[in-house]
Amino acid sequence: MSYPVIDTYSTLDSILHRFDPRAKLITFTILIFSFAFITELVVALLAVIFSIILIFISRIPLHFVYISLKFPALFIFMIIVVMAFTVQGSPLIGLGYVSITIEGLYIGALIFLRAIASLILAFLMLATSRFDEIIKAMYSLKIPNILIQMITFSYRYIFVLLGEFFTMKRSMYTRGFKMKLNQYSLNIIGNMIGMLLVKSYERGEKVYRSMLSRGYTGNPRLFTDFRMVMADYMLSSVLLLIAFSVQLFPFVISNL
Amino acid sequence: MHISDGVLSAPVIAAGWIVTLFFIALTIRSTMKKYDIVEQIPKFSVMTAAFFVVSLIHIPVGPTSVHPMLNGLIGIVLGPIAYVSMFVGLILQAFLFQHGGVTTIGVNAAMVGIPAMIAYYLFMKGYERGISEKTLGFMCGAFAIALAAILLVFVLLSTGQEFSGLARVAAVAHLPLIVIEGILTGAIVTYLAKVKPELLPKKMKK
Repeated sequence: MSYPVIDTYSTLDSILHRFDPRAKLITFTILIFSFAFITELVVALLAVIFSIILIFISRIPLHFVYISLKFPALFIFMIIVVMAFTVQGSPLIGLGYVSITIEGLYIGALIFLRAIASLILAFLMLATSRFDEIIKAMYSLKIPNILIQMITFSYRYIFVLLGEFFTMKRSMYTRGFKMKLNQYSLNIIGNMIGMLLVKSYERGEKVYRSMLSRGYTGNPRLFTDFRMVMADYMLSSVLLLIAFSVQLFPFVISNL
Repeated sequence: MHISDGVLSAPVIAAGWIVTLFFIALTIRSTMKKYDIVEQIPKFSVMTAAFFVVSLIHIPVGPTSVHPMLNGLIGIVLGPIAYVSMFVGLILQAFLFQHGGVTTIGVNAAMVGIPAMIAYYLFMKGYERGISEKTLGFMCGAFAIALAAILLVFVLLSTGQEFSGLARVAAVAHLPLIVIEGILTGAIVTYLAKVKPELLPKKMKK
């Protein structure tokens, strides 16, 4: 377990890093939604290749990409395995009771590729901007103010509370606690979680009072200097074009 | 528990977002009526961060490990606005850990959020009847995760018949989690009742 450090490499310089955060938020979201509903296996493969090319364009070190996406990718891979065994169809390999079917493998692979493409894009969107820039972009896109503030403050306090949590965990382990799957362990963990909640609740009170004393009124004050330049419009158009053509592809094919 | 991107069909995703946006608007509006939102935002955020941290705990189960979701507990502690808390948590999880998918945030929030809200009302009803915190916590925790698993199966099946196998695997995988979450929620609720009772819904006196 470690701190979530998605924007470690947000200070590099690349086309994606220079991309206006507002435009990035919109175009990447459209791309993610478009890639998640691809219907053809070949197109899904192209989408994954495109996303991988974007990783190279972004210049984010590959080991960082690897450690960030390893577990999510493994989790999605399990879906292929389950689908391959459970979908009815013509068997490819029979193993006694169970058999791997072609149909299952096809659906599984399609889901896997769609998910990986979306995963990489979501990763790149956040990895190439500082988180506070994304937040500012959300404000200027007129997303309800309450919701954004909740996201921002929750994000900040995750780090504080993770630190608190590590300390509690360490002190538990120094006293000889061992995590096992039994009622005793679960009770102890339950008490620890309860303690974390109590501490967080009290901290919430303090945070509220300190924010109030600094003049917090529930409205954010923003100093943004986002300016769309030619390159931003170009990149947005290219990405949007890809998002739409991926969805239009099956219709084009069927009309040929 | 989370459904990743690329699994569900477009109508299911759209339905998930509609349900989620409806509940968010509803719960935020009703909270604003009752409380000062300026006071609620910092407190709500710190609690959301706490639940996010809690979901990073890994409990070993056989060769793998599970992480508690505690949607029942979130419901009990925060009330109906727990839905928003889980929505925010899912957004942060999708973008900070790349877990759970972006397009499916709506569906995932509905799957854990609706049971959380029901768990809150169950807890209040049970508290009035004088059931002990431990039993009540266990029941609400187990109920919330069981209902989430049922919703998950429902969502998978409504996407297509070919997902029936995946739905069955997912349902079986949730069985141990129901017991674990029940015991955990029971322990936490007992602890909170002793140490900080104001975190729990108020005990109504007849």
